[in-house]
Amino acid sequence: MMTKEILKIENLKTYFDTWAGMVKAVDGVSLDVREGETLGLVGESGSGKSVTALSILRIVPRPGKIIDGRILYKGENLLEKTEKELQEIRGGQIGYIFQDPATSLNPVFSVADQLIEVIRRHQNVTKKEALEKAIELFRLVEIPDPEIKIWSYPHQLSGGMKQRMAVARALSCQPSLLLADEPTTNLDVTIQAQILKLMKNLKDKLGMSMILITHDMGVVAGVADRITVLYAGRVCETADTKTIFYNPRHPYTKALLTAVPSLALKKGKLEVIPGNIPNLIEPPSGCRFHPRCEYAKPKCAKKIPPLIEIEPEHYVACIRASEIEIKSPLGAKANE
Amino acid sequence: MKRKKSARPKLQVQNEKTRSKGVSQWNIAWRRFKKNRAALVGALIVGFVIFLAVFDALVAPFPPNATPGFYTGETRSPPSLKYLFGTDYIGKDVFSQVVYGARSALFVGFASAAIAMSLAVLVGLISGYYGGIIDNILMRITEIFLVIPFLLILLVFLKVITSISPSGGGLSMVVLMIGLFSWAADARIIRGEVLRVKSSQFIEASKALGASKTRIVFRHVFPNVLHIIIVLTTLMIATAILVEAAISFLGFGDAAAITWGQQLQKANEAVKEAWWEGVFPGLFITLLVLGFSLLGNGLRDALDPRLRE
Repeated sequence: MMTKEILKIENLKTYFDTWAGMVKAVDGVSLDVREGETLGLVGESGSGKSVTALSILRIVPRPGKIIDGRILYKGENLLEKTEKELQEIRGGQIGYIFQDPATSLNPVFSVADQLIEVIRRHQNVTKKEALEKAIELFRLVEIPDPEIKIWSYPHQLSGGMKQRMAVARALSCQPSLLLADEPTTNLDVTIQAQILKLMKNLKDKLGMSMILITHDMGVVAGVADRITVLYAGRVCETADTKTIFYNPRHPYTKALLTAVPSLALKKGKLEVIPGNIPNLIEPPSGCRFHPRCEYAKPKCAKKIPPLIEIEPEHYVACIRASEIEIKSPLGAKANE
Repeated sequence: MKRKKSARPKLQVQNEKTRSKGVSQWNIAWRRFKKNRAALVGALIVGFVIFLAVFDALVAPFPPNATPGFYTGETRSPPSLKYLFGTDYIGKDVFSQVVYGARSALFVGFASAAIAMSLAVLVGLISGYYGGIIDNILMRITEIFLVIPFLLILLVFLKVITSISPSGGGLSMVVLMIGLFSWAADARIIRGEVLRVKSSQFIEASKALGASKTRIVFRHVFPNVLHIIIVLTTLMIATAILVEAAISFLGFGDAAAITWGQQLQKANEAVKEAWWEGVFPGLFITLLVLGFSLLGNGLRDALDPRLRE
């Protein structure tokens, strides 16, 4: 049942050389995205989700630098490409949606201008054809009256509209992979659901793959096929969505699930993970989660846990994974 | 209010006919500018001086270098119906001189500002966007220009140039010097603004969509700092006019050119007997500088996206 991988990241390391020291924002992340699937990339703030995504397009802001690893897109290593080749891939092959629609659009140009710019950047069409394509895209992202709305400026659109526009821009050249970096975080809940539904539909319609980055387990539950959980720049657990929710094997995954408000409501108490994400200049030794982990033993501080396939298609980075019994807060519904 | 309506699909249909294109930031700026009375006064003053400069031969009663009072003995005669602003030491009509001075003043203002702002924009954009070592080098050069006493170095240079070649390039040389020595402060301001825009997400977004560096600088960064550039330009024009007047007054300018500063300098020797010789050109300098400053302030208020009502 293994389908072809469209993107494979191996041992990616992206460090930020700051005055305070080397911030190891992404420290050996490996993951893969298969054709036509949605991979949820989940973790707290500062876990390295966004930096991973930015690394894929090699647009990590200074002083960030990709130190090591391989990023294979359709079998080709993106880290070996020239800047020119990458510019073709960015927006053309791989689309990117940013977190905040309010600031990811240029305020001085109309929406039409911005769409036309991207379309003409990657496709050899006239201005008029590009405009027609842009209007078509507006229809695709379900913006009413596209012929009129397309001439508006970002400040005239609501947050939801802007994010639809950002989705349209990312999709303008039919990318085969879409990176969505917290696309719904700055939107209110009803709009969130609309945008997620839209993105899911479009993904199926256009046959794309997608990486959905979020800290919200609720968002990822409905959209992702598989989930990779990140903590402090490392992968904790990768499995299909159902497994992550009903049969998690990493203590951090469980802790994340307990902290989802809607799930906690059933239990009547919202739990938080004690402590903060560690300092990434001098991260904890061994397993980076051990200072906050309720199952931690002294040996956790000694050895960096490797990511092992604990059962088919289920990878966990915890040396105690086979010793401890983790109960999902949703209850074990393994065969539902 | 209009915005709220368009969010509702039913009302939107009615809006369709009245609004086919969106309201750009320029439209908003113009609307705001129109409401600003001081800015309109500034625009009016500047407009008036431009009118004088364009139609100087029609407005002025006497030709540029005519000395109508010289033969009739009407040198340094007070304002009258014949000589609206009086006459000067060799019987030139002060009013005509002031009118002809308008063209020089605008030439000095626009040309110096064009030179200074081109340099400032270039240095500001490159320094701000590329950063790193380029930024470091350019900013150190800028600082050198910032710390040298501006007026003094101008005077020294002009003196040296006129001693090498007596004709010295005239008013154009003055303009060139003003332009070359006054860009530094504005370059810093533009650089700061570029740094602000550079960190916006839409710059990152256009990078993620495959835009090249040059494209980002000119297509995305430049339009977003244009409002600052426009404001700085108007203020630069005002400064250049003042500086030229100062240089001329001190006797370092182009003595052959008809400028308000030159008139002031010649009036200097007879302030008590013939106040009109100096007061009227001085008044016009003040007026024009005030006009450009009001215009600049108005533009700043109108164009700054952070000052939304």
